[in-house]
Amino acid sequence: MIELSHLTKVYGGIAVVNDVNMTIEAGTLTVIVGTSGSGKSTLLRMVNRLIEPTKGSVFIEGRDVSMLPAYELRRSIGYAIQNHGLFPHWTVARNIATVPMLLGWDRKKVDARVEELMELFQLDHEQFAGRYPHELSGGQQQRVGVARAMAAKPALLLMDEPFGALDPIIRAKAQADLKAIQRRTGTTILLVTHDMAEAVHLGDRIAVMDAGHLKQYAPAADILARPADAFVDDLIGTVDRPFHYLTLGTVGSAVEPGEADGAPLNADASLYEGLGALLWSGRKTAPVVDAAGAPLGRVSLDTIADRAARPQ
Amino acid sequence: MTTLADAGSDGSTLPRIDRLGVVIAILIAGSLALPFVTFRPTRIAAGTGLRLFDALPAVVAMAVAAGLVAALVTAVASHRPVFRLALGALALAALALGAGAAGAFLTPADNPYARIAPASGFWVSLFAGAMLVTDAMVRLKLGPVGRLVALTITAALIAALFASGAWSHLSLIAEYRSRADVFWREAGAHLMLAAGSLAAALVVGLPLGVLAYQVRAVRDPLINVLNIIQTIPSMALFGMLIAPLGWIAANVPGAHAVGIRGIGMAPAFLALFLYSLLPMVANTVVGLNGVSRAVVDAARGMGLTERQRLFQVEMPLALPVILTGIRIVLVQNIGLATVAALIGGGGFGVFLFQGLGQTATDLILLGALPPVALAFAAAVGLDAVVELSGKGAA
Repeated sequence: MIELSHLTKVYGGIAVVNDVNMTIEAGTLTVIVGTSGSGKSTLLRMVNRLIEPTKGSVFIEGRDVSMLPAYELRRSIGYAIQNHGLFPHWTVARNIATVPMLLGWDRKKVDARVEELMELFQLDHEQFAGRYPHELSGGQQQRVGVARAMAAKPALLLMDEPFGALDPIIRAKAQADLKAIQRRTGTTILLVTHDMAEAVHLGDRIAVMDAGHLKQYAPAADILARPADAFVDDLIGTVDRPFHYLTLGTVGSAVEPGEADGAPLNADASLYEGLGALLWSGRKTAPVVDAAGAPLGRVSLDTIADRAARPQ
Repeated sequence: MTTLADAGSDGSTLPRIDRLGVVIAILIAGSLALPFVTFRPTRIAAGTGLRLFDALPAVVAMAVAAGLVAALVTAVASHRPVFRLALGALALAALALGAGAAGAFLTPADNPYARIAPASGFWVSLFAGAMLVTDAMVRLKLGPVGRLVALTITAALIAALFASGAWSHLSLIAEYRSRADVFWREAGAHLMLAAGSLAAALVVGLPLGVLAYQVRAVRDPLINVLNIIQTIPSMALFGMLIAPLGWIAANVPGAHAVGIRGIGMAPAFLALFLYSLLPMVANTVVGLNGVSRAVVDAARGMGLTERQRLFQVEMPLALPVILTGIRIVLVQNIGLATVAALIGGGGFGVFLFQGLGQTATDLILLGALPPVALAFAAAVGLDAVVELSGKGAA
């Protein structure tokens, strides 16, 4: 559990982060979203003390982070950033091994961990371990950046716009991978983005920042259904709201008994994907199957439309 | 059939004229009208210029001229770098051996004081040939290792030319022969001045550069002071150092014993060291500043301590720029060390200034050519090292 208490950062008389209080449950993925200059990155960087707060404290598992030397604290917290910040003069393997080496793990353990992580992030060890960052594609560099951040199995991972430099297709894949890896490892993740769709897609809870203030901190569905004020409403975007909302539910949750023609939809797909598939194929209904391919029933356009409506 | 069509679509059937090649060709052609060597009855007497065909037996002169003309034609007509390199090298070899042969041919048996020296025609065509060779090397796009190999081969060929005795009748070698011991002693002094002051500048300049990078308040004042030192003419700086160093030698116990004097090696060394500081410090700061912000941020975020960040990340990434600073300093110092002779600091300048005093051109060349060659070799060598050091971090 991470607790931010009255966290404030003042630069030249202006509070870029203003008295923020927030509790982040262990094992969740929390997204801080806001426009540029909202103070979201500053907030994140105060957690691992890349920026020292003017006022207030950060507690991780009840311990005040200012009690540890900053470099020791940072070695216990994963850190991944936009443009990955990989060390260009080190190979992929050496980059991933950064924190374990700093912690003085023995060689064998480091090598084993690097192999394990490269497999987790779908980077062929044989092919990529000895390569330099500039020899990788943008998506591969980003994966190495996240693998490096998770190398010493930190309980907490901080990510500052980690997908900002990726093109849309690779970004969607990277987001899905991150979610899967987070579920598997149970790592607590605190991620900063300016993209509301990314926030809704990834976040168990979303924190909306504006001008240094925490405007709203709630599960994604609540933020969409009941935005705290006009700013949050604006950030969501009135046109996109129903579609954001649909990304939160799965086709499986809208199944009704019956049969339908055409290609089946996977129960794991989001309602948003289901809507797209129905609209594009010109159907009113589609069959739904589970992961094994067994029929579960059907889903209809009307049901999905109902699910996109503002909850009363 | 296709060739005809290609020529037609190209709009022209004329071969493209190489502009640099034309310049080289004009230089070579012009050089044939200039004196190839100068003949002087004594070391400092006025000389008579002799053209190629007056300086050599007809057959040898024909051979040298043929080599030069072949290079001339290649320079204009051929676009293949390998060809241009080969013919350029051939012309240079013809020139070197021709000059040596002229020395042997012209030296009268009864006058050991007569001096034969390469003259304007030789130097102009040497320049043209060297241009052809270097241009061809640039076009070949040699990698750093290739350039180091080429440099080594060139040095070996020049050494072989001198060792073979082919030039033993030329005045430059005559001047060398009569002071061989002194030559090597001054060569050592020259290298000691240039490389020693560089080493001292490294030891002091690197930490200063790191300090200026880390502490913003230090950066501008430090760079400004070093900038001012850099603007003082070398002669003036030597002069300014005489008084304080002389005072130290006279008043600080032990200073005289370790070689500190108002004149001689000490002020020369100190002046070169001071000149070296600006490029060292400035390049260290620029190199460190050039490290990507994302990389520095990641290094901090990963939990590297400030020292680990400096030595494991920032310094290695700044290395190519710092090495460029070392290259600048070394090339600059090899040239500047020549002036050190004026205050008794030794070095190749000793011959240069003696030669100026005696109006003995050959002696001037003996003092001037080695530093030029050294500076050139240092520049080419360190450029290659800079490129190699940047390989992993492109």
